[in-house]
Amino acid sequence: MSVGFLVLFAILVILLGLAITRRERPGPIVKRFIEQVAKLLPRMICALIAAGFVAELLPKEAIARLLGAEAGLLAIPVAAATGLLIPAGPVISFAVAAVFAKAGASTPALVTFITSWSIFAAHRILIYELPLLGPSFLRMRALAALALPFLAGVLSVFVGLMTSFGAPVPMP
Amino acid sequence: MAEFSYLKDPVWRKEILRDAFGKGFLGFAAFAVFTGVLCWWVRGAELFLQTFGGDAELLIKLLPRVMVALSIAALIWVMLPRDRISALVGTDSGLRGLFIAMLAGAVTPGGPSSAYALLAVLALSGADRGALVAYITAWATLGLQRILVWDVPFMGTEFAILRGLISLPLPVVAGLIARMLPLTVTYRDEAGIHRP
Repeated sequence: MSVGFLVLFAILVILLGLAITRRERPGPIVKRFIEQVAKLLPRMICALIAAGFVAELLPKEAIARLLGAEAGLLAIPVAAATGLLIPAGPVISFAVAAVFAKAGASTPALVTFITSWSIFAAHRILIYELPLLGPSFLRMRALAALALPFLAGVLSVFVGLMTSFGAPVPMP
Repeated sequence: MAEFSYLKDPVWRKEILRDAFGKGFLGFAAFAVFTGVLCWWVRGAELFLQTFGGDAELLIKLLPRVMVALSIAALIWVMLPRDRISALVGTDSGLRGLFIAMLAGAVTPGGPSSAYALLAVLALSGADRGALVAYITAWATLGLQRILVWDVPFMGTEFAILRGLISLPLPVVAGLIARMLPLTVTYRDEAGIHRP
């Protein structure tokens, strides 16, 4: 039982209590629930299984070499592209980030990688965004957010010029 | 039971089955099999089994979360006062709407199942596209839960603070760009009707 799950569960209990006091009809609530589960669950199971395999197949050490300080500003586009390649949740992406950090990736490259992954993680787009919001929303959001990983990377390059604060201490 | 009459509706049932196991699902299943075979072939049987076991464990951990998150989303879907949402983060909400959306995104607990389910509710309640983009960008880059649970232990506290500070302007920037983009966005409504 994690804290996150307990918070979610507490919210559910509060909302259920609210629904009962407001005498909401259960029919539409159950209908919406079944429809969303049908849209998400079967795909989620497949995507989760595929994600584990993809993370195993990625050449992590080779990528890490491209993210080092000697790669200079080139590290930022490489890091942004790598973020798109991790079709998995935080367990895998942060483990990969720690591998990169241990292999000598620069701080701006790591910030860019994590930002790019958090905004564009392919599994989230495929499992949640397309079925729930549709392709036209995805196109609009992707264009609006396209520059953000680069912006984050460049900002951390500037921070790095002024201070060494923010150097990663990767999990062993 | 008139309340749950849709459960016996053959059209609705067919739609549910198509949503669950239609073309999209088959594509996902094929991709999972493909990567699995590739993993076995490139990395060997032992690592394949280890990865598959890890996936199964993760799935068992995630299932209750997804169920709880979707129950929350269904309750909110029915009870949310739509008119108040559109006043708060609607098309005329300006910069204030973007900041409210960003704050909401940063504090939304749970994984993508809760954030995206809520995003869908907001989209159909008349929230402005800039606010929608700001919300999901803030959830993704600034989510307090993610920073505390993942950034801090995996990358260290200093890095977590740096990444958090650098991400502060991102949701509003993305929201402003979203408002300027000359694109039309349509959402698939419950009844299959398209609404701008």
